[in-house]
Amino acid sequence: MVEVTSKGLTRVREIYQDRPHRAKELRAEDKKVIGYLCLYPVVEMMTAVDLVPYRMFGDMREPITRADTYMPTVVCPFLRSLLDLGLKGKYEFLDGVVMAHTCDVGAQVPGLWNTFVETHYSHFIDTPHTIHEAAQKQEKGELQDFQKSLESLTGKELTRERLREAIEAHNQQRALVRELYDLRKPDPPLISGTETLQVVVAVMSLPVEEGSKLLKEVIDEVKERRNGPPKKSARLLVWGPVIHETPLIEMIESLDANMVMDDTCVGSRAYFADIKLTDDPLDGLAYHYLVELKCPRTFREGVYGETSKEHMTDLKSRFNYLGDYAKEWRVNGVILQALRYCDSHGYEVPVVKDYLANIGLPSIYLEHDYTEGALAPLRTRVQGFLEVIS
Amino acid sequence: MTKVVIIDNDEEIRARVVSHTGAEHRRLANKVMEEGLKQAGLSFDEISYVIATGYGRINVPFADRQITELTCHARGVVNFLPSVRLAIDIGGQDAKGLKINDGKLIDFAMSDKCAAGTGRFLEVLAAALGLKVEDLGNISLKSANKVPISSTCTVFAQQEVISRLSEGVPLEDIVAGLHDAIASRVAGMVKRLKIEPDVVFTGGVAKNIGVVKALEKNLGCEVFVPEEPLLSGALGAALLGKEITLKTLAEGEPIPRGERRLEEATFFK
Repeated sequence: MVEVTSKGLTRVREIYQDRPHRAKELRAEDKKVIGYLCLYPVVEMMTAVDLVPYRMFGDMREPITRADTYMPTVVCPFLRSLLDLGLKGKYEFLDGVVMAHTCDVGAQVPGLWNTFVETHYSHFIDTPHTIHEAAQKQEKGELQDFQKSLESLTGKELTRERLREAIEAHNQQRALVRELYDLRKPDPPLISGTETLQVVVAVMSLPVEEGSKLLKEVIDEVKERRNGPPKKSARLLVWGPVIHETPLIEMIESLDANMVMDDTCVGSRAYFADIKLTDDPLDGLAYHYLVELKCPRTFREGVYGETSKEHMTDLKSRFNYLGDYAKEWRVNGVILQALRYCDSHGYEVPVVKDYLANIGLPSIYLEHDYTEGALAPLRTRVQGFLEVIS
Repeated sequence: MTKVVIIDNDEEIRARVVSHTGAEHRRLANKVMEEGLKQAGLSFDEISYVIATGYGRINVPFADRQITELTCHARGVVNFLPSVRLAIDIGGQDAKGLKINDGKLIDFAMSDKCAAGTGRFLEVLAAALGLKVEDLGNISLKSANKVPISSTCTVFAQQEVISRLSEGVPLEDIVAGLHDAIASRVAGMVKRLKIEPDVVFTGGVAKNIGVVKALEKNLGCEVFVPEEPLLSGALGAALLGKEITLKTLAEGEPIPRGERRLEEATFFK
């Protein structure tokens, strides 16, 4: 076993700066590390058969040079970058990958990956895109298939008992992340948005127990320290698709603003709803992953089973959680950010803006294309927004 | 372009300088400032407050504060026309729409990283046509039959223009088409802000009468252009500087000063 000497936020930064390092160590200890794309592969099931789930990302600093042979350039730059890394052998340390029908482009990546990237194991979960009962049944069926696939990979039986234990371990981790987020409620927050993102990225790179231990260290450290973020005029919530590198948040926090809350998938989305323990744990998992995970890739209606004709009723039922976040974290402005070509989030922007305007919360929409180089115009927009709301 | 405006207590403009920025822009701000001081007959120590704005605002080591060009333009435009509700600024880098209520900036829209809908679009296409950018406006007024330019991309528009030329389309009709292309693109952007008159148009492109006319047609209302459309951001910054100074003095506080090094920016050192 490798001796880990650093703790808390120092350890977080080490992992954030070299994510594969710990995964490679774990493999040297005969653990199997499985990469997963987006939030829809069920990490609890992987944990239950002693696999280490490892969240896969692209790399903003790595120019995309290989993926354009296989994918059009006018699609999600995050997924293009991810495939590019795969083609360059940068995910060779994984024992396999699990992907899902997250969005239309996300559904193309597994096929390309299986064909052009050498992979020991791969599985695709065909997650439906609505929350109707029929869709929930399909999701459960998909998880039953996933179970068989994991059992044949590991030679272990995925018993209900094991699955329950894994769900409990992950729920415990969710509670810890929420505890960490509570430390952002004071003004100034005790932990910055940049640091929080690094913590979540680190946790998503570790086995569940190790991640929870790290979270406890961070929570203790943050509560005790005296050099937290300074007080700023604005307390912002950042909404949008995957954001796993810090430059955008650092830019925002270099201005007169603290980012105190998020609605992104490397943040609250992954941790704010617990999985219910049902008789057959797959029922609770299917419900959680389809109904409770609030990514715009899933279509949900105001009234269950019918699309409301009343615009604001529909919006309230879909986005009231954002209003609740704003109240609890005392948010006075929202940054809606999306990667260029992210249709799922792009279509959602006007309605989220409508909802926020209706509850009196100012917002600004930023589109960026997964590079660090072009932050200057975004800086002007954010700074202008802060001047308008101050 | 790098601009300096110095105003006095009565909001009289004591200096106005417009200078090409170029690639050396980190070294230039202090030179333009020195020229402004010379014009005003003042020493740097006599300046109460300095605000830096625009893309280069982080590279002005002698500024007391940075404020975005959005807020500064809005302030400058309100000074020109207090009843303004929408300001459109088209410069070389981008196009901006500013929604103003009661003299305050309340919302804005900016063009994305793309030359379409900016002054750069006209510069590139003027070069392709062998024309000077300052002549485009008057040339387009001669057009009786403008050709639609359907490509929004500057590079594709250039190809489209060349193929129109080879078809023998008169120059003025092509230029009028280009003005309409830029105006309709910017109008589409600012319509998201819900247009209300009065509308003011600033930035280098506002000097082009062809774009002014095309914008009026696309927006369906009159568009007012100040005498010096390039200076509204710098003037707004100066006016904000005066307001901050007076407010601070009225509160009996010392004026919050920056480091104020009137020298080249040392961004890379």
